[in-house]
Amino acid sequence: AATAPGKKITARLKRTLPVRGPQAPTLSELMRWYCLNTNTHGCRRIVVSRGRLRRLLWILLTLSAVGLILWQCAELLMNYYSASVSVTVQFQKLPFPAVTICNINPYKYSAMKEYLSELDKETKKALETFYGFSEGKSKVRRSVDDWNSTGSDFFQQIPLLKVEDFSRTATELHSGQKRKIEGSVFHKDSSIVNSGDSNDIIGFQLCDANNSSECALYTFSSGVNAIQEWYKLHYMNIMAQIPLETKEKLSYSAEDLLLTCFFDGLSCDKRHFTRFHHPLHGNCYTFNSGESGAVLSTSTGGSEYGLQVVLYIDEADYNPFLVTSTGAKIIVHDQNEYPFIEDIGTEIETAAATSIGMHFTRSRKLSKPYSDCTETGADIPVENLYNKSYSLQICLHSCFQKAMVDSCGCAQYAQPLPAGAEYCNYKKNPNWMYCYYRLHEKFVKEQLGCQQICKDACSFKEWALTTSIAQWPSTVSEDWMLRVLSWDKGQKLNKKLNKTDLANLMVFYKDLNERFISENPANTLVILLSNFGGQLGLWMSCSVVCVIEIVEVFLIDSLSIVMRRQWQRAKKWWSQRGGSGRASDVERQGHDNPACVDEDLPTFTTALRLPLPQDSPLPRTPPPTYSTLRLETAFTEQLPDTLELGPH
Amino acid sequence: EGLIEFYGSFKEMFEFFCKNTTIHGTIRLVCSGSNRMKTAFWTLLLLASFGMLYWQFALMFSQFWAYPVVLTMSMHSEPKMFPAVTVCNLDPYRFELAREQLEQLERMAEESLAFLYGPHASARSSPLGDSSSPLGDSSSHLGDSSSHLGDSSSHLQGQANLSSSSFSLSHNFSLVRTWHLGAGKNHSRVGFRLCNSTGGNCFYNSYSSGMDALLEWFRFHYMNIMAQLPEATNVSQHQEHVRDMVYSCQYDGEPCRPSDYVHFHHPVFGSCYTFNSKGTDPFWTATKPGIPYGLSLILRAEQKEHIPLLATVAGVKVMIHSHNQTPFLEHEGFDIRPGIATTIGIQQDQVNRLGGNYGKCTTDGADVAVELLYNNSYTLQACLHSCFQHAMLQHCGCGYYYYPLPAGARYCDYNRQPAWGHCFYQLYSRLRNHRLDCFQQCPKPCR
Repeated sequence: AATAPGKKITARLKRTLPVRGPQAPTLSELMRWYCLNTNTHGCRRIVVSRGRLRRLLWILLTLSAVGLILWQCAELLMNYYSASVSVTVQFQKLPFPAVTICNINPYKYSAMKEYLSELDKETKKALETFYGFSEGKSKVRRSVDDWNSTGSDFFQQIPLLKVEDFSRTATELHSGQKRKIEGSVFHKDSSIVNSGDSNDIIGFQLCDANNSSECALYTFSSGVNAIQEWYKLHYMNIMAQIPLETKEKLSYSAEDLLLTCFFDGLSCDKRHFTRFHHPLHGNCYTFNSGESGAVLSTSTGGSEYGLQVVLYIDEADYNPFLVTSTGAKIIVHDQNEYPFIEDIGTEIETAAATSIGMHFTRSRKLSKPYSDCTETGADIPVENLYNKSYSLQICLHSCFQKAMVDSCGCAQYAQPLPAGAEYCNYKKNPNWMYCYYRLHEKFVKEQLGCQQICKDACSFKEWALTTSIAQWPSTVSEDWMLRVLSWDKGQKLNKKLNKTDLANLMVFYKDLNERFISENPANTLVILLSNFGGQLGLWMSCSVVCVIEIVEVFLIDSLSIVMRRQWQRAKKWWSQRGGSGRASDVERQGHDNPACVDEDLPTFTTALRLPLPQDSPLPRTPPPTYSTLRLETAFTEQLPDTLELGPH
Repeated sequence: EGLIEFYGSFKEMFEFFCKNTTIHGTIRLVCSGSNRMKTAFWTLLLLASFGMLYWQFALMFSQFWAYPVVLTMSMHSEPKMFPAVTVCNLDPYRFELAREQLEQLERMAEESLAFLYGPHASARSSPLGDSSSPLGDSSSHLGDSSSHLGDSSSHLQGQANLSSSSFSLSHNFSLVRTWHLGAGKNHSRVGFRLCNSTGGNCFYNSYSSGMDALLEWFRFHYMNIMAQLPEATNVSQHQEHVRDMVYSCQYDGEPCRPSDYVHFHHPVFGSCYTFNSKGTDPFWTATKPGIPYGLSLILRAEQKEHIPLLATVAGVKVMIHSHNQTPFLEHEGFDIRPGIATTIGIQQDQVNRLGGNYGKCTTDGADVAVELLYNNSYTLQACLHSCFQHAMLQHCGCGYYYYPLPAGARYCDYNRQPAWGHCFYQLYSRLRNHRLDCFQQCPKPCR
């Protein structure tokens, strides 16, 4: 009596909640059941596919899909952990950049006397003639006569002209001769600045030596610019003839330029500087060039820990016509970069302390196909004339130099020499100046194609500079400081230093944050495929498996059915024909007889041996619980309907 | 079972496809076709969604092949608080209490100058001219110099005793010239000798340039003199100097109020004023960009109390910084020379570090092992300075004058700790070479 209620309850439980074993008695059956019922479609295709090869292919496809999933997921994970932090990276220690320092005056004027005395004499004479500010103001006409008698080379080569009101006549300033201007007129100064009084226009004319009617007139609204440009032309001619070793000797030595040096709290000297000869700026000195050992680095920001140098700028030894400002030029650059002082140098002045604070930014662009930049410059069809790493600037200069050598036959003085070429001078290439100006004109107007060939570098380092200036030495400390520095300068200097001969320079990191700007592709392959997956799922509730399935059913299988139909029709037609004309065709047997061949066709026979479709419906994914879906019953009746869908 | 089994007819194929396809819903309805109308409708729907699919595919492909890139950056232009601005006149005081010692030190410097560079004349007539022959060895010079300064020390000693405090300048740290036989040429260096307390371990703190050596030598003595000043001397008695330095101050067209600045004295940069240091006053809200709406100051950079060997530049030191941040002028300050008008445009960049797994950073400094000695918000420099000061106290037993002191500690001076210079310079080079773990202990601030 006591057990009866318990049994009742268990019986009831068994009835209401039937306990079932596994879905299939054996392991293979269970697998089959799983494959048929799972939502992982590839699995189902393995089971339902007909034919061993088909099944094998589906197994392979499913397995490779699993592999792909693993790979792509790993990539997504890696993206998640890496890309998100690449904007700013901090370092405890930052490499100090190379700092190149040049005196604005390239060569000691006193040493250059030998080469430039002739030119300077004539420039002075020209100034006398044009502006009459010399000692003997009244003797203008006579000096002109002197000139003609000495037969000045420089004015004969390129005479300075005064252009009269665009009337296409010009007066040769030193001789007073009028001449007609042919060819085109180029205004080097913008006409907006022009005073309007066009009588003041001074310029010079460059002619094609081979064809004297081909001329170009270069005018300047200000006589200062005209004379400087004119001087520079002759100066480059002269300098081009002096060998490099001599030029290095004519320029400043490290002892001349550097009075004191202090880096990262420690004393340094000229051994920390590397000489670098720049064609326009003479000897420049690069601190931390990396050529003599490891690149220095700083671990603390602030002026105390940067480079501090006192420079000696001998103002009295300046070339009066070539440079009109006093001081030094500095540039902060990477050790592998070429210092383009003439383009992007910062000028520092004398009798002042210039502090230059730096912010370091490193940028990285994605190369092709994301943007048009080059990693190493190796893919650019311009030879790199500088033995430094590629930059857009280097490419443009090299490209221009190459064009110069090709069309003018000699190389421009301000840029390095290509192999086998030499610098222009008008003894050897009388035509080069005209050629150079025309070429430069073309280059600026982007007609040389250099701007199209040269591409940006993909990765570059940049130091943003903040410059501030204080008065140095202060009036009260001037006295002792000049004393100490004069002694340091050494015994060979007899005079006491003047504060306008000195410049104090500090270069330091403002903070040790490295800004790293990098590009990441917005669309990777993974994202593309994921988007596909989303779209396929959204619109078709389907995956790659179902795309393959569609290809299998609608392309391969449909084709095979059509082919078989055609074959059967052809066979039928043949047999009918054969039935009527059997007697005549007796001898056509064996390999010639198409009827024989088809007997052995594997596809056909296997097709004939197909097992009939099973009576009971195949097990499959449990249909969604839409009430509209009543497939089992609908199918057997409605198959002819669906059949109509297919071929049409 | 064959290798590949083909279907006998379309009927069979469709039956198989409809039964086994993995495209759900729609295709099943097409396959079912219990109702022609429905079938047609679903067929249309299916085709439409196929169409949509391929259209979207085309869009995605075109987007993919355009290879776009992403760079995240955001711009904010809402009104902000004007930053704090600190200006210093580069003219450190001669504190009344130390005036005598400073003068004495300057006399000592003058003597060293005369000894090294000859009496006040050109470099030619240096008395060292003959003794500094190329072979002059450094030890004999040492002897020379000590005896030379020994003479002068006797009368200086007398004067030091006259001063009110018990402090006296030490003559153990005299500047000497040492010669090194370099490659073919003699290099001379100027420096001073530092020894540990037993005198067994000594080194020269020397520089190739006499200017640097003299400045460092002066700074070392200056720290010793200043260290004995009571901490509370200072600012209050110099409060009236505001009018002397800031001639005119305007912000956004309105004159500044006396409550707008905080004054402090920096041992090297002199008298400093921080404008808008708290950043809470609505007066300092930046409403419009442009020169007339900013802060304009007329400053006087006079050098009346100038200490010629401490500061060699004249002008004004300026730093623009966040509110509640101690300005470290030696790191981020910039100079303005006298006699010119300077316009400074500012632009704020904010860097947020993620912290956590992405990199070490601290939000407010509370989790940093170093006790901060500056009672302002956390900055890396503040942490490094505090860390160094703690190391100083631990190793040398006294504090470095330029950094603030923790409670109960004293600044170093060589009357009490004769060997602190030796200890300090060694510790300082260890900091610079990352052998002191201050850089590990101090993370960057997260924002």
